[in-house]
Amino acid sequence: MWRGVCRPLNTLSDSLISGARGARYARCRTAPIRGFSAGKGDDFFKDVESELKKFRAKAAAALPGSDWTPLAVNPALPPERADVVIVGGGVVGWSVAYWLKKKERIRDGVRVVVVERDPTYSQASTVLSVGGIRQQFSMPENIHMSMFSSDFMRNINEHLDVMNEDPVDLQFNHAGYLFLASENGAEIMEHNYNIQRGEGAKVSLLSPTQLKNKFPWINTEGVVLASYGMENEGWFDPWALLNAFRKKAISMGVYQCFGEVTGLQCSSREMMTAGGEPVEFKRIHHVIVRMPNSLEFQPVECGLVVNAAGAWSRKVAEMAGIGTGCKDTMAGIPLPVEPRKRYVYVFHCPNGPGLEMPLLIDPSGAYARREGLGGNFLGGLSPSEEEEPDASDLEVDHDFFQEKVWPKLAHRVPDFQNIKVKSAWAGYYDYNTFDQNGILGIHPLVNNMYLATGFSGHGLQQSPATGRALAELILDGGFQTLDLAALGLGRLFSGVRALERNIV
Amino acid sequence: MLKILIPTLMLFPTTWLATPKWLWTTTTAQALIIATASLTLLNWSSETGWTSTNPYLGTDPLSTPLLVLTCWLLPLMILASQNHISPEPVSRQRTYITLLVSLQLFLIMAFGATEIILFYIMFETTLIPTLIIITRWGNQTERLNAGTYFLFYTLAGSLPLLVALLILQKEMGSLSMLIIQYMQPAPLCTWADKIWWAACLIAFLVKMPLYGVHLWLPKAHVEAPVAGSMVLAAVLLKLGGYGMMRMIIMLEPASKNLAYPFIILALWGIIMTGSICLRQTDLKSLIAYSSVSHMGLVVAGILIQTPWGFTGAIILMIAHGLASSALFCLANTNYERLHSRTLLLARGMQAILPLMAAWWFIANLANLALPPLPNLMGELIIITSMFNWSSWTIILTGTGTLITASYSLYMYLMTQRGPVTTLITAIEPSHTREHLLMALHLIPIIMLTLKPELMWGWCF
Repeated sequence: MWRGVCRPLNTLSDSLISGARGARYARCRTAPIRGFSAGKGDDFFKDVESELKKFRAKAAAALPGSDWTPLAVNPALPPERADVVIVGGGVVGWSVAYWLKKKERIRDGVRVVVVERDPTYSQASTVLSVGGIRQQFSMPENIHMSMFSSDFMRNINEHLDVMNEDPVDLQFNHAGYLFLASENGAEIMEHNYNIQRGEGAKVSLLSPTQLKNKFPWINTEGVVLASYGMENEGWFDPWALLNAFRKKAISMGVYQCFGEVTGLQCSSREMMTAGGEPVEFKRIHHVIVRMPNSLEFQPVECGLVVNAAGAWSRKVAEMAGIGTGCKDTMAGIPLPVEPRKRYVYVFHCPNGPGLEMPLLIDPSGAYARREGLGGNFLGGLSPSEEEEPDASDLEVDHDFFQEKVWPKLAHRVPDFQNIKVKSAWAGYYDYNTFDQNGILGIHPLVNNMYLATGFSGHGLQQSPATGRALAELILDGGFQTLDLAALGLGRLFSGVRALERNIV
Repeated sequence: MLKILIPTLMLFPTTWLATPKWLWTTTTAQALIIATASLTLLNWSSETGWTSTNPYLGTDPLSTPLLVLTCWLLPLMILASQNHISPEPVSRQRTYITLLVSLQLFLIMAFGATEIILFYIMFETTLIPTLIIITRWGNQTERLNAGTYFLFYTLAGSLPLLVALLILQKEMGSLSMLIIQYMQPAPLCTWADKIWWAACLIAFLVKMPLYGVHLWLPKAHVEAPVAGSMVLAAVLLKLGGYGMMRMIIMLEPASKNLAYPFIILALWGIIMTGSICLRQTDLKSLIAYSSVSHMGLVVAGILIQTPWGFTGAIILMIAHGLASSALFCLANTNYERLHSRTLLLARGMQAILPLMAAWWFIANLANLALPPLPNLMGELIIITSMFNWSSWTIILTGTGTLITASYSLYMYLMTQRGPVTTLITAIEPSHTREHLLMALHLIPIIMLTLKPELMWGWCF
């Protein structure tokens, strides 16, 4: 009797099965039994099979052993409470997360959540970077940061190795950087060289003849001095470093959340300066994280927030009120970080320089490096202030290469006159418009916002040192290994620039 | 008793009819008046017996210190909650205070009960406001889990107690403590009698908590708001101890043998939970586990059933109640400023808030049983009587004392000493209310050093 009821139901469901399968399994009675009547008489039997199936599925889910719960929570939401919320899942953010976990001396000592807006990292500066690392800076702090980072990356498996996973391979090419200086840059280069040497970087100065001897493919016309990094310089794979940090941090207990920070709920306190002016101090107590493609959001109660949002740091800082006050107060000074678009072009040169080619930087600012072993090269140029491209999207301007980059590269390396452009991409510098150096420290007006941003093109290479410095600031109460007070936020308010003269 | 009960009942209209501007002031003031009135209970009319004007509610030297502690704690709870409840709408604030007051009422009736069944009913009733406070006003999602653990552990333990009490009523004909103390304890020989013995005690062992059934406590303490943590640590745990002390009189002589596993569990629990304290990253969790550790000593003291054991248990219960509640208030002052309870993030507070550091110091010294505070009195009396019961326990209790000292010092050094973390350099200064709260916690401990006869119970 039951089967007699089932058969018409089966044919009904078969006729609903799409296309070929339905035709294959259709029985002789292909037309549905039900007529056009809206009567309720048959509904019970038609629905009961599916209802029973649903009931069985629900019962199986509710029995012990399944993870069904009446208070169904979206598992993608971040936890309701965290000690440290890191806004931005680039290499700086994950480096901070890793070092925080490394320095907690007890398991689960600090609860860290990294919030990243874009799981594909389509616009992140980290992965669109050329990936170079150099010690040839003019500020001792920058030199030391890069030296430590290079040391970190050379021994990366001592630091970021995860059990049962493959060892990390950064593909660190130790080819060095070669800066070329013309007449008016030679003195600065020599001055920088002395600073670098003094801090322990292994750099050498080359005269044009020495340069020609060492790298015969260079056209030394107009070159007065060259600075060549002999050790700890080169380029590596930024994706590998990011993923290494990420995997290790997650294995140490950092929560990863994909979502966008849309607001920072703060409490504020008014105090008086000695001169009688009111100052408002803020303290972030909740970070509002919105889920991607959804209106669902979660306020994460936090102890402190690390702003590692890169090119978008200013927007995150504005959520805490930085830059939104009156123009001539401290609260009115915004975070001077803005996205600047930079192009990278990949071209193939059949008889270009060989494996010994360092990352060459022309006095005009054009740079090129070898990419891989197939005769491909990466090249680019930082445009001058007037020619800054529009940073609203990452569209590549190919004319820029034709008109600006190629002539300079071809002049410097004659072999590059004969090239074919393979592809190009654009990425953002988190450009610090104040002095093009990283901003590292705690904001004076927002008592629990730490910043690690504004590195203007050398953030990736300094990320291990940045992470360690920020972790020391948070957990040890001050810098322990490298004193990066020169990169603190005080200079933004005092107006004293920490200028880095060697910006590529 | 009525002079305590009626004003407590009248706190309900006070809460609901006071103007919002004066709500907290009036309730605190009335609660303080009740607390002062409860001090008159300490004037025992007879040295060893009950003081009661009616057959239902009475006090004796065992219940009086706990009653006074309960009444004393209500104004402190209201003081502590003032800041974190103030952003909420006024009716919700009134509800919160009503819950605290109702908890107070049930606790007074529990400690003042002369009938064991009234005690049992009040014992269960206190679960309800506590559950509401934990699950509604707690801070994280885990509070639902914490509430479930809290409720069901205690309920599962106390259902056998109900059955045991009904059996006792049938056997003895009365469940009044005034009468039962004079009855012959029944010889417990059959297997069912042994189960009855266990049923009498399990509810209180879960409430104390004993080490094996202590899992609800860290959850409940950590997830509860400050007033919930205070009342849990200070009074609700002592309900278990008080109940055990009342029941165990009639459970002789079987207890001599049957109590062995529980004594051992309690002693082992002191060491285990003390060691767990050393590995905690969450401040409130550390204080919660230290409560389990201290209560383990109390359980051991009660179960050996000697006069000194009982005396030490009562003294330690009172002293621990005040000290633990003080520590939870201190942890809350940290939490309100930083929204984080992690030990690693808030260090070197002594440089920022030196006066609060003084309170931290005294509270931690009280926790580690520094002489001459009553914490040491209680611990020492229990350890001595346990040594008399069996010499080997000195190993466990001695190690426990050592571990207690180390985690209390660890807590103090982590929060107050060390490098000043950048997170706390710009926090709000301490409020006078917080200083008052701490003073009202710690001054009674210091004063009790001078007159411990108030706490000794009726065995001395």
